[in-house]
Amino acid sequence: MSENYLVDGPIPTSFIASYIEAFAFRTDAGGHSFFIGQVRADILDNKKVIAIEYSAYESMVEAEADNIKSRVLSEFNDVKSITIIHSKGLVKAGEVSLAVMVSAGHRQQAIQACSLAVEMIKKNLPVWKKEIYEDDSYSWKENK
Amino acid sequence: MEVKVLFFGVLTEVTGTACKHYFDVFNLGDLKHRVIDDFPEIVHYNFRIALNNQIIDGDHELQSSDEVVYLPPFAGG
Repeated sequence: MSENYLVDGPIPTSFIASYIEAFAFRTDAGGHSFFIGQVRADILDNKKVIAIEYSAYESMVEAEADNIKSRVLSEFNDVKSITIIHSKGLVKAGEVSLAVMVSAGHRQQAIQACSLAVEMIKKNLPVWKKEIYEDDSYSWKENK
Repeated sequence: MEVKVLFFGVLTEVTGTACKHYFDVFNLGDLKHRVIDDFPEIVHYNFRIALNNQIIDGDHELQSSDEVVYLPPFAGG
């Protein structure tokens, strides 16, 4: 069954709360580690970022995100669940564009697994971003 | 014999399109040359190529309905 890793526009903060609430029934989990990525109003050449427009190669996002989840679950045997959500389309400064949520029996693996997943997303997820500035100009960004 | 080529990120601006179909091209090397013929500016950009969701290097045979994707450096997260 394919999982939907992409949402249109900003990720509603209610998704994050819902994840925690859903885990109320999983009493084998002792901790959650989250990375929540937000669009930052960087300043480039005296111009402020007002939004980022994300685009994605969707079928490969699915394959790569599946791969990240498999790697995390196989490397961290205390991890119970990992959820990855990335925005596509327009996300304004201050809004959430990435959520990585990991639940584990104990904190150490929750934190390490979340960190690994975020680094793998940065490296391997076929997503592109166009920073849009307050004067309507834009530039394409790359992960370093 | 038809192959679909997708462009992403800045390459959609360089080529003016997100998708182009090529006919009667049987290996990736030839396809790359045809893309350069159509969009000469593309040689100034960094990208990797994926064939049917797999990033590949070098030449490769193409089949009808293959999907070749030009991937600029990623920027997710």
